[in-house]
Amino acid sequence: MNSIKPKSNRAPVGSVQCENTTLNLLKANDFVAKAVREKLPGMLVINICSAPGSGKTTLMQETGKRLAGKINMAVLVGDPETERDAVRMREVGINALQIVTGGMCHIEAQMVLQALDHINLEGVDLLFIENVGNLVCPAAFDLGEDYRVTVLASTEGDDKPKKYPRMFLTSELMLISKADLLPYVPFSVEAVTKDAREVNADIDVITISSLKGDGMEQWCNWLLQKVAEKKSSAPVH
Amino acid sequence: MHEISLIQNIFTTLEETFPGRMNQLARIRITAGLLTNVQPALMQSAFDAVTATAPQYAGIKLEVEVTPVLIYCDDCKKTTEVVNYRFVCECGKPSKKIVQGEELMISQVAFSDEI
Repeated sequence: MNSIKPKSNRAPVGSVQCENTTLNLLKANDFVAKAVREKLPGMLVINICSAPGSGKTTLMQETGKRLAGKINMAVLVGDPETERDAVRMREVGINALQIVTGGMCHIEAQMVLQALDHINLEGVDLLFIENVGNLVCPAAFDLGEDYRVTVLASTEGDDKPKKYPRMFLTSELMLISKADLLPYVPFSVEAVTKDAREVNADIDVITISSLKGDGMEQWCNWLLQKVAEKKSSAPVH
Repeated sequence: MHEISLIQNIFTTLEETFPGRMNQLARIRITAGLLTNVQPALMQSAFDAVTATAPQYAGIKLEVEVTPVLIYCDDCKKTTEVVNYRFVCECGKPSKKIVQGEELMISQVAFSDEI
């Protein structure tokens, strides 16, 4: 193990000195994530993750409509390209800012920290970070959120928690979306809940349909409760 | 995954940690927990791609070690390997206390005095 090929043509007469290290490769991201947390005391931050097309943006639109007048909500939305999602949210009156990741498969904490300077968060109680549609890479990046919520559409199949375990392991809540399509697709809420809880015994599960309204009240109540908890835990100025 | 940026991250981290010794760097070992989704073959390809365009890194070897997921049970005080992503202790109690499997780090570097 301790011998290596020399870079020159000489025989390997030199010694090799090994140093054991514990240099965390995500150190920089974790450091910035901490800075994001410190910058937003008392504000509930939720990192919304899912595969592309699970209905994250529609969920944000409908959530914004339902929470209007109750709490102030804002959204940072990440996509590899285009401003389309932020435009869709602004159309329904949501304070939204697009993070274009420039092809990157996930949002990193640095992108969130920079975005905070470009969005007015005065009086905001709840900040969503809508991650890039991807169940793999975003799981490894702390964005400074309080909770991660994973959206899984009924059309994606009920086998995802075991295929993408880290995402479900690190999520507080699994939202099963497009519930209105459940009668038409081979998707078992019971099976997906069982698999998700084998990975993460504490995960909450809510079945919703953003378009038809099923479960939206339960989801909004979940949010309102977490917002209240966050506010009461924040240091009083 | 995002292997290229990870590899660039490795070199940035090492340059910060071992300034002045980079020209002696012979081998880098990465320890990646199973939960990081790091694939050794893809990391190797990305490493080759990055070093091919950076002459100062020519000849450096990469080793990637993937470690299994281990959880600790508060009840029976035992550490169990997670198989098939079932985060449940042998005693039947679920546990999310991960003691290994999430790490992504440079665990060893070897310097040669050949140069």
